[in-house]
Amino acid sequence: MKLQTLSRVAERIYWMGRYIERAESTARLIAVHADLLMDLPVRRALDWRVLMDITGSNALFATLHDDTTERNVVRYLASDPRNPSSILSSIANAMENMRTVRDTMPRVTFEYVNDLHLFARSGLQGPLSRSRRVEVLEGIARRVQQLEGFLSSNMTHDDKWQFLRLGNHIERADMTTRIIDVRSGAGSADEPFEPIQWRGVLRSLYALQSYQAIMQAPVEGPAVLEFLFQYEDQPRSYASCLNSLMFGLRRLPRSETPLRACNAMIRHVQEAEVRDLEGAGLHDFVDGRQVELGNLHDAIASTYFHYVPRVPARARRKEAKGQ
Amino acid sequence: MPIDRKAYNAEGIWDELVAPNGRARAGAGGLFRVLGRLSGERLAARQAAADLAIRTMGITFSVYHDQTKGAIDREWPFDIVPRLIRKREWDEVSRGLAQRVRALNLFIDDVYHRQRALDDGVVPRDYILQSREFRPECVGVDIPHGVWSHVCGSDLVRDERGVLYVLEDNLRVPSGVSYMLENRAVMKRVFPELFRHYAIHPVDDYPRELRNCLASLSPRDTERPKIVVLTPGIYNSAYFEHSYLAQIMGAELVEGSDLVVDRDDCVYMRTIEGLVRVDVIYRRIDDLFLDPDTFHPESLLGAPGLMRAWRSGKVALANAPGCGVADDKVIYSYVPDLIRYYLAEEPVLPNVPTYRCVEKKSRDYVLDQLERLVVKPANESGGYGLLIGPHSTRREREQFRRRIRANPRNYIGQPFLTLSSAPTFVKGRLEPRHLDLRPFILSGERTYITMGGLTRVALRKGSTVVNSSQGGGSKDTWVVDN
Repeated sequence: MKLQTLSRVAERIYWMGRYIERAESTARLIAVHADLLMDLPVRRALDWRVLMDITGSNALFATLHDDTTERNVVRYLASDPRNPSSILSSIANAMENMRTVRDTMPRVTFEYVNDLHLFARSGLQGPLSRSRRVEVLEGIARRVQQLEGFLSSNMTHDDKWQFLRLGNHIERADMTTRIIDVRSGAGSADEPFEPIQWRGVLRSLYALQSYQAIMQAPVEGPAVLEFLFQYEDQPRSYASCLNSLMFGLRRLPRSETPLRACNAMIRHVQEAEVRDLEGAGLHDFVDGRQVELGNLHDAIASTYFHYVPRVPARARRKEAKGQ
Repeated sequence: MPIDRKAYNAEGIWDELVAPNGRARAGAGGLFRVLGRLSGERLAARQAAADLAIRTMGITFSVYHDQTKGAIDREWPFDIVPRLIRKREWDEVSRGLAQRVRALNLFIDDVYHRQRALDDGVVPRDYILQSREFRPECVGVDIPHGVWSHVCGSDLVRDERGVLYVLEDNLRVPSGVSYMLENRAVMKRVFPELFRHYAIHPVDDYPRELRNCLASLSPRDTERPKIVVLTPGIYNSAYFEHSYLAQIMGAELVEGSDLVVDRDDCVYMRTIEGLVRVDVIYRRIDDLFLDPDTFHPESLLGAPGLMRAWRSGKVALANAPGCGVADDKVIYSYVPDLIRYYLAEEPVLPNVPTYRCVEKKSRDYVLDQLERLVVKPANESGGYGLLIGPHSTRREREQFRRRIRANPRNYIGQPFLTLSSAPTFVKGRLEPRHLDLRPFILSGERTYITMGGLTRVALRKGSTVVNSSQGGGSKDTWVVDN
């Protein structure tokens, strides 16, 4: 008889998957954005505020800073402990989730996560020159990929693995739609720079090279939207993430409800005329996808986790140490 | 690096490996030869390899850190010089341990049922009723095989004459067995050549034995009863062990919130496949945290209804609640009597002489001789709250005098034993360090005793405190034929 996967363990592994993915995509986002700005004329309106839009941070950011200066935004996204989704917070959260379930994963996993955490902490603290920043962010992304590669080739591909991947892919799908969404806000003044910005979008999803190979078209809105929403073979495309979610859910017991939701999501994106989307229409479409992702998360949570911690972790910690 | 006899001035101390004339004790010759052939640097390299292995294998214990308000994982300090015990001696010790634990389990079962030993005056009834570990909730509960302490860790120490004593019996939730197993694994990695010189009895049948022992308690007659390890969580200092044991036994590692007791009085765990019935809980949390419905209502570590499920026989708890009543150091002093009473045998292993402060004559003696004695509270573990007379200050002794007078039932006195030592690799040299030994005794359908156990060593010179939380380390323990 195999070991049963506890709901608590599944949930923590799922969140570990989400946080790791979030750390990487945020690192990648900052790096690509900084790079992109160099291609644009100085003092253009498209500035660092865009990253606040993508990550949905405007409200919290406003309580912490007056200005969306480069320094403030980068600090907020990279290392601010007050931002629960900053790179450092995400890695710390991934680590905390991992710590509580480390006996269910290959032993060495903890070292990879720990190494990632140490690297990010020492790299992101204190003042960060632009050149050093690139190095650190790339280093973080590379370490996340190392960790994922390690897990992929060494962790048993059992239920727990599926939850890790569900976390990865739901987060990845979410980030892809957010990155696309930024383009929906662009006004006509941006027109001359559109190709540059779409290139930035592709690059932040590691997709520029394959776009060129597969679409064999210049980089422009409609084709990029089709590629990033519907092209199933591109790992960070929305459609590809959904396929991975489907695959994972099919391997899990009792997955009828989330599977149904996921099926509908695939239908919705494949039936849409995504090439025609722009401006407010694009934003509404992205919004719809994000709502669906939220619902899918809820369906997974209520099917498998259904686990309401009866107390905050802090109280539990205090008591446990006394044992 | 040969053992330096001058540095190694073990006068007045019994050394496990070195005889008073500086030669190897019987059985230790092979070890001496191998150590003698290695230079200090090469020994240091082996030690470094062991430390690295411990890091990569993730063998840790947690210490609560005040500044970060979190648990810090520390690597388990390990010494590469093994401690040797001859099989012949170990057989005798095993016999003594089995005898002891059998008597203790009979006693606990008796305390919660007919109380024959109390009626017959073997142990004063008051001592039991006043024990902090006596649980009225356990009275009248019949449990499988009549066994209450399924996993016992008894601490053995050797005095300066070489006599082995039982210092205490940890009947509640003893820890350390994972380190015993890991120490052997590390040793095989860093000192493979030593294993050629000796027929060393393996220790790695423990996980299977533990599983069998726990399975023998299952209320359901199924081929593969569902066994889980219940941990207070990652902030507990022994979390590594909880997780390790669950893993090697193939049991789920659960926290209280993973368990629910349903209206049928059965215990279930929440899994992604729904609720799954649990048969045996190897619990690593104290009695009072097991069930907020019965004990601390504000406790969050256990599961409400667990005691109800246990009392109605729907789930087995190992160790059983209430078994700590025999873990009390005042009760300890009666173990030899209990062995005679229940088994009509003479004890194989001696107790350390113990003065019960609750008795006037003994109390007067303890108060008078504080400077020469060790005073221990009846119900603490982990080396906390004790007074080591010869190393104490006047103020500390005054403090203990007051405490003893205020609550004599809670204190015992024992002579200060100079624990035996063994060569230990410290700062590039082999120096004697004091140690003890914790074997583990499993009792279920049958009894099993580990081959050796966990040797804990005080790494600080002259110290006799072997607890890992207070500067202790450990050694691999070899039971060898010869």
